[in-house]
Order: sequence, then structure tokens, then C-alpha cells
Amino acid sequence: MAEKVKLFVNGQEVEVESGKNLIDAIGAIGIEIPHLCYHPALGADGNCRLCLVGIEDGRPPLVPACKTRVAEGMKVQLDTGKIKKIQQDIMEFELINHPIDCPVCDQAGECKLQDYYMRYDAQPSRMTVKQVLKSKKLDFGCGVVHDQERCVLCARCVRFTRLITKTGELGIVNRTDYARVEIFPGRPLNNRYALNVVDLCPVGAMTSQDFRFKQRVWFLTKSPSICHGCSKGCNIFIDHNREKYKDDIIYRFRPRHNEKVNGYFMCDDGRMTYKLENDNRLLGAMIDKRETGFNEAVEAVRRELSQAAKTVILVSPNASLEQMYALQQFAGTINAQVSGFSDGYIKNGDGDDFLIQDDKSANRATFHLLGIDDTRAGFDTAVAGADLLLSFDNDLSLSLPQTDLDQLLGQVKLITVGSRQNDFVTKASIKLPVASFSEDSGSIINCDGRLQRYDAAVIKNEPMPSMIAAINMLGGGIVSHQEAREGLQANVPKLKDIDLDQVPGDGIALTENEVAHVAA
Amino acid sequence: MQVKVLSAKFDIPDANTLEVAKKHGAYATLDKIFAMQPEEVTEIVKESGLRGRGGAGFPTGLKWTFLPKDTDKPVYLAVNSDESEPATFKDRYILVRDPHLLIEGIIICCYAIRSHAAYIYIRGEYTSQVKVLQAAIDEAYAAGYLGESVAGFDFQLDVTVHRGAGAYICGEETALLESVEGKKGQPRSKPPFPAVEGLYGCPTIINNVQSISSLPFILANGAAAYKAYGTEKSAGTHLFGISGLVKKPGMYELPFGLPILDVLEQVAGGLRDNRTLKGIIPGGSSTPVLTAEEAKTVTLDYESMAAHGTMFGSGGIVVLDDTVDIVKLVENLIHFYHHESCGQCTPCREGLGWMLKIVQKILNYEGTMADIDLLLELCDNIEMKTVCVLSAACTMSTRSYLNKFRSEFEAYIAHSASKHATM
Ligand SMILES: Cc1cc2nc3c(=O)[nH]c(=O)nc-3n(C[C@H](O)[C@H](O)[C@H](O)COP(=O)(O)O)c2cc1C
Ligand code: SF4
Ligand code: SF4
Ligand code: SF4
Ligand code: FES
Repeated sequence: MAEKVKLFVNGQEVEVESGKNLIDAIGAIGIEIPHLCYHPALGADGNCRLCLVGIEDGRPPLVPACKTRVAEGMKVQLDTGKIKKIQQDIMEFELINHPIDCPVCDQAGECKLQDYYMRYDAQPSRMTVKQVLKSKKLDFGCGVVHDQERCVLCARCVRFTRLITKTGELGIVNRTDYARVEIFPGRPLNNRYALNVVDLCPVGAMTSQDFRFKQRVWFLTKSPSICHGCSKGCNIFIDHNREKYKDDIIYRFRPRHNEKVNGYFMCDDGRMTYKLENDNRLLGAMIDKRETGFNEAVEAVRRELSQAAKTVILVSPNASLEQMYALQQFAGTINAQVSGFSDGYIKNGDGDDFLIQDDKSANRATFHLLGIDDTRAGFDTAVAGADLLLSFDNDLSLSLPQTDLDQLLGQVKLITVGSRQNDFVTKASIKLPVASFSEDSGSIINCDGRLQRYDAAVIKNEPMPSMIAAINMLGGGIVSHQEAREGLQANVPKLKDIDLDQVPGDGIALTENEVAHVAA
Repeated sequence: MQVKVLSAKFDIPDANTLEVAKKHGAYATLDKIFAMQPEEVTEIVKESGLRGRGGAGFPTGLKWTFLPKDTDKPVYLAVNSDESEPATFKDRYILVRDPHLLIEGIIICCYAIRSHAAYIYIRGEYTSQVKVLQAAIDEAYAAGYLGESVAGFDFQLDVTVHRGAGAYICGEETALLESVEGKKGQPRSKPPFPAVEGLYGCPTIINNVQSISSLPFILANGAAAYKAYGTEKSAGTHLFGISGLVKKPGMYELPFGLPILDVLEQVAGGLRDNRTLKGIIPGGSSTPVLTAEEAKTVTLDYESMAAHGTMFGSGGIVVLDDTVDIVKLVENLIHFYHHESCGQCTPCREGLGWMLKIVQKILNYEGTMADIDLLLELCDNIEMKTVCVLSAACTMSTRSYLNKFRSEFEAYIAHSASKHATM
């Protein structure tokens, strides 16, 4: 437990964590100090002046809360007329040159200027002279569009490129109210995390080309989840909406704070993987390129299984812990070999020392935990003499050279159970569609051995069965996620003490031992 | 009334050269200071009552004692030669007439604060001044007064001139440090104070050119000799830049404590064309104005200025006569501060522009009485809510004109009311 200090806020004694600034410490107990420039990941800059608070008997008596650490006995004043007047005045200054084009601004609904205006200002405008005009719709690169007139010059975006990506593409040029955020001529944003400036921007000055004008944010349902773009497993919000007469569609992924995994950020590639959830999905069962009912296709698969001399089950490294377990059990009952071969999901050298990992799959660590072999050699041994390959959302074309793949498909019959279309799936004689991760729940273990849980975010008009349900229909014994979790707990010693139903929001670190060969 | 303490060599031809300067006593204090402990030097400076000449008047010796005692980091001296405050033109005389006085002062200060590297931050527009200064520094290096071993003593000192790029804000001490570090000149919020965390994160003392140049006299003649000039709380002499509508504008060295009107009459020759006095800006554009009435009792020292609700400032006195249009003056004033605001803090960045446009509106005969009150309120709303005091320099002075010369603003507004009525 962190150390505590006692202090007074508006005369009332409170206990807060020591070592933090006033905004964070007092904010943690539910008392808001308005602020624009401070961000916990970027530190205090002290430029917006909105966080000024009174300190009774303090020297000085007025301090920026972002730059002031809590101290025992400190008497913080937030509700005095003086402080309220300052908050109102700062908001007035922020707004005099602001275009206030909320009706066409993407940020409306989650904008600090709107929120704070309502809470701390709410005065009619006294601005009767000409506003400062600046540039709008500037293409800053990496899909970031900047509006200088909406900008409050908090420098969060600038500090992000200096402190976090260390690429420094952004700067504030000029002084006084001519000051504006700019890129250097011909040097647009050029880093793999650039879109984080859109989230960091407290106002609508940084917008995403991809998201602009697509949705009003108050219509979006914001469901917590985990990015499946790589083995980091950044925590995200899936922002989705079912418009009238339409299906539940995902409009964006946004990073969700988890200090143990991704902090406040995520990479741009991962952010864009929301598109994989919407597009190119396998939507109906097929037998030999003919659309068919799901049950009919299941029957066809069962027939193939009963006739096959040797079956190999190919698992995707994106499958959840529960799904992998159910598959393992299933393989046992039908006496099939299991392989997790998926070398093609690993892009050597692509990762960095921040979030992005070489391994573009979300749950390879579970292969190791459950003893699922994912080597090429293991795969070759498994498929030797096999006549049926049952692939569960593993795109083998990523991992096998074309000639080897052709040769293999000449030898085996391919059946796929998965959520999306691709060239490999096209080659299957039977295809069974299942829910993707955004429509399903599950647990995954990231590259650092952190077990994380996600729940279904999206509910489609015509939901696909979950992979576990599909496996069950094919003859697997596990009927539900719940049962898979119970089985895992009972049978996997390393999960013995972990309640998979109660994984905390920021995940659970598996002990050294459990992840030792994950790292290896 | 005039004295020659700092300006002793100003009228000597070629005193900027080492040869002439030495002939007239330059570097004579070095033997004396190197025979002392650094702390003894600081003690003498404290005793002398020398206060910072950059505008704030902070006791110089006391400031030096804020340095951490046992630091393993280098200590720096930054000499503030940005001199960009409107109406201020004193440091430039030192730079060109007696640069060795400044260099000697730097040696004294650096020895006292145990610094081996001093930066002179010089205003970008001082293009000819910087040449004279650099030539003097080069000469001092060549003669061994700077470098590995200062004047043969076991003390190393390097002096580097850093040219500004024409920003008033870089005279603010922490913006100055940012600028020396090669960054955009924006003030840092304090704490930490520069004495603890200054240039490159190391303990740093920042002093004005005139403060530093006052040291050789004090060390040569003793604290008492310096205190013999001036008043109890305003010891010594100051270089006053007198400008405005007087017969003999110029730079004059005077002891502290003289009645401002006597100086105006006897030193600056009185008002031109026998006009009447309207007011006096006592110490640079940032200081609240004094009315002609108030001026009658003001003396040129920190105490008297404070007692009259203004500040001593930089010694840049501007004399305003009855031909001066106060509203236009205020427009000019806010225009300057608005233009020079570094733009980081919201109230200063947005507020000064707003104030400027309101004053322009009044000048365009479109103002209302409510605009005057709004201006006064904006002064309050901006002042002391910001990282540095540039904004306060603007609002404190603007408020003084609004309060003391409100009728001139009202006259514009009355005129606009009648103009609109007849339309
Ligand atoms: C906006 C602003 C501009 C300033 N410009 C100057 C300047 O040009 N020269 C100067 O010596 N001090 C200037 N100062 C004061 C410095 O911040 C600092 O107080 C001074 O250099 C300290 O030296 P001193 O103690 O010797 O006076 C300025 C302050 C502000 C807020
Ligand atoms: S664009 Fe947004 S984040 Fe960047 S300075 Fe402006 S308001 Fe702040
Ligand atoms: S770093 Fe990996 S997990 Fe994180 S957002 Fe990017 S792809 Fe997704
Ligand atoms: S008060 Fe003005 S000049 Fe000073 S730091 Fe703030 S914006 Fe910059
Ligand atoms: S949050 Fe403290 S000044 Fe902006």
C-alpha cells in the first residue's frame, strides 16, 4: 500500500496517497480539479492555469495543482469565491478565441471545454471584438487532422511526440495568441503511435481522419476490451453503435488505461484493427462454395471427422485460453493431433521497446501454458499422413510457403472454423463462421505473462456462434466458457490458484515460472 | 547631482580597450578578491546593500547565498543583458563604454559563487554592442584575465556571449535560461528556482549587467563607500535613462534618493516648450505611472516608489507632458506586451490580445463605458495567475492609466456616443 497523507480540502479532512500532485491525489478520492495541460503520462507543464487552487496559509497562497505535491496538513481550497472566479476567468480566456463549432466537432460530447464550461463557467460571452483566426483542417500526417482554432495550446500533443515517441514532429510556433501547433515544413507526423494525440487532445483540435464525422460520440457504446493486434494486449475501449435499422458496428478502438500493460496509449496499427472486426467477415457457412445452413455444415464436418484416417487440428495463436482448452479436449476425444503452427504471425524486428511486439498474435503464451506445439517441425510431423486439416481461425498461408501449402492441400481436406475471410479460408471445402473476439469473451496471456480477460462488446443482429459452441457442436465436450474455465483451473496446475472468473481489470501477472518459457 | 561610480570611464576615449581600461584601474580588484575566501566576497556584497538592477531590486549578495552549499554540479552565472524593457537604455552603455568593468564584475561574482562558466545573454538587436563586448572578452582572454587561470590565480573562468533573437520575454530569467539551452524562450514555473535548478539543471545565478558591473567599485572601495551613496534601503548609484518630452534626454548616473522632479529639471533640463507635466513612468514601461501630483513627493529609490504604489523598476524614466494621449499610450503599451507574450499561459496569451482590441475599439470611437470596467476586470483576471510576471507588468501599468487617467478614456467614449447619436 502506498503511503497516505492527511490534508484538508475545503475544510474537510481527507486521506490521500502521498507523493502525488494535487490533481491526481485528490482526484483519486473523487474531487475534481479542472485541468487541461496536465496529463499523468506527460507530466505537468503548468501552462493552462486552470488548476490553480488556494492553499490556506500557503506561501504562495495560489498554486497550480498540477505542480504541487500533497503534503501533510495542507489546506486546499477549491470552493472559495476566489478560486471559482479564477476557474471561470480561465475558461473565459480559453473560449474568447475559440470557434465553438461544437455542432460539427468530433470532440463534442467528450470535450473538456464543453464539460468545464458547463461546470465552471456557464457565463454568456463578453467577447465583442474580432476573434483570432487560424488555420483549419491541416493534414499532420498519420491520419491526424489539426484545427488550430480549436486548439487550447496545452502542448499535450507536443509533449507526447517529445517525451513518449521521442520523434518531436510537433511544436508550438510563434508567440502570444498567434501561437499554434505546427509540424515542420514537409515533416509530417511519422511515428507508429501518432493517433494517440487525438485521444490526448482535450478538445477537438486533433481529430482522426479515419473517425472524423462518422459518429457523434454520445451514440457510441464504449465497451472495455483487449487489442488483438499483437502480443502486448493493449487495453482498449471498443466504441460501437447500432444505428437504427443497421447492425452493431465498431467505429474505433481507443486505448484504455492500464499501467501494467499499455499505460494510456496504443499503437496506430492496433487501433486500426477494429476494421477487421467489421469487414471481411465470414458470415455464412459454406460447403464447397455453396452457402448452407450452419447445422448442415456442422453435420458435414462431423461426417468428415468420422471418415478421416488422421485429423490435425490447427489452432490460431489468437484463440482465447478457453477456446484453446476446449480444442485440446475436443482433439482428445477424436484422437486428433493439435498444432499451433503460426510462424507467419511473427514479424521479426517489427516490434519496438514501447508497446509493439514482433508477434502479431494475442495469445501465443497460452500455447506454451497448455503445451500446444507451434513449431514447423511439430506441424510437419502432425500432418504427415493426415487426410483432414481442421483449422480454427489460423491463417496458414501466412506461415507456409505457397508450394508447401499447395502440396499440403493436395494431401488433406481443409475445413475452417473462423471469423474472417481470407485466401486460405477460400480453399476450405467446408467453412463454419464463428464470433470474433469483439463478440465473444475470453482470457489471453500477453507477451509479459499477464493474463487478461475481455467480454463480448458487440452484439450482432445475427450473432455467430462462439467458437466454443461450434466446437461443442462438432463433438467437443466443453459446452461453455464457464466450463472451460473450471476445466482449466482443475487441470492446469499453473492456473490452480487463479479465479478466471474474477480477473481484475488490469489483469493478473502469472508467476515467473509460468511465463519462463514464454519469454524463451 | 550626477556622480561617476559606475560610469567613471564612460567618457574616457577608448575605455572599451583593455589598455585604456587598465590604465584607469580595470582589474585592480583581482589581487584583493583572490586573497579572500569566496564567502567573504559575498559578505561584502551583502553589506553593500546592492540590489538587483534588472528591475526587481532583489538583494544581490543574498541571492548568491541561495545556492546549494555542497553541490557536485557546476554552478553557472548568467548575466542578463537582454535590456528590452521599453524606455530602458542603461546596460548598453556599460557594454560599449566599459565592457571590462562588466568582465571584472563577472570574475568577482563567479569567484564568490564558485562558478567557472558565465554566459552573457545579450539582446539580439545589440549588434554593434555585441562586437565591442566580444572584442573586450577576446582581449581579456588574450591577457589572461579569462581562461585557465584568471590573472595567474588558481581560478578558471570562461565567459560566453549568447545572443538573443529579439524577444523581450528572454529577459525573464528562466526564459533566458531556456534560450541559452537552445529552446524556445518560455519562462519556467518556479519553484524550482534557478539558484537550485537553473541552466542545464544546475545551480545558476542570474544577475543584471548593471548589478554585476557595480561589483568592482564595491570590492575596490568597500561596502561603506558604496553605501555612502543613496538611501538606507537603496544603497549606491543607478544609471537612469531619462526619455520622453524633456530638453535633455539621456543616460545619467545618479545616487538613489533624489527627488524625481529635481532630476527632471536640473539633470534633464525640464520639459520641452514649457509644456506642463502630465505624468511620469518611473522605471520602464512595466511600472505604474505617476501623476504630476504624485511626482511632487517621489524620490528616486525603491522605498519611495513603493510608497507611491509603483516600482523603481529599471531606472528608465519617461516624462509625459500634456500633449500625450494616454489612450494611445496604453494601446502602444498593451500592443508591446501582447506581442511579446510567450503565449504559454492562457490568461496572458488570450487576455492581452483581448485587452488590446478593446483599447483599439475605444480609439476607433466604438467603445462603451462598460469597456473601461471590462479592461479593469481583465487586469485583475490576468494578474498573478500566470507563470511569469510579463502579464502583470502589462496589467499593473494599464490599470494605473485606467484609474489615474480614466477621463481620457471616457472622453473617447463620450465622443463615440455623440458620433453615433448624430449618425
Ligand atoms: C518579462 C520580463 C523581462 C525582463 N527583462 C529583463 C532584462 O531585459 N534585463 C534584466 O536584467 N532583467 C530583466 N528581467 C528581470 C529578470 O527576470 C531578473 O529578475 C533579473 O535579471 C535578475 O537580475 P538582478 O537580480 O541583478 O536584477 C525581466 C523580467 C521579466 C518578467
Ligand atoms: S492540439 Fe490539442 S493537445 Fe495539442 S496543444 Fe492543441 S489542444 Fe493541446
Ligand atoms: S501494441 Fe499491440 S496490442 Fe497494443 S495496440 Fe498495438 S497491436 Fe494492439
Ligand atoms: S505570463 Fe505571458 S509571457 Fe509569462 S509565461 Fe505566461 S504567457 Fe509567457
Ligand atoms: S493543469 Fe495545471 S496549469 Fe494546466
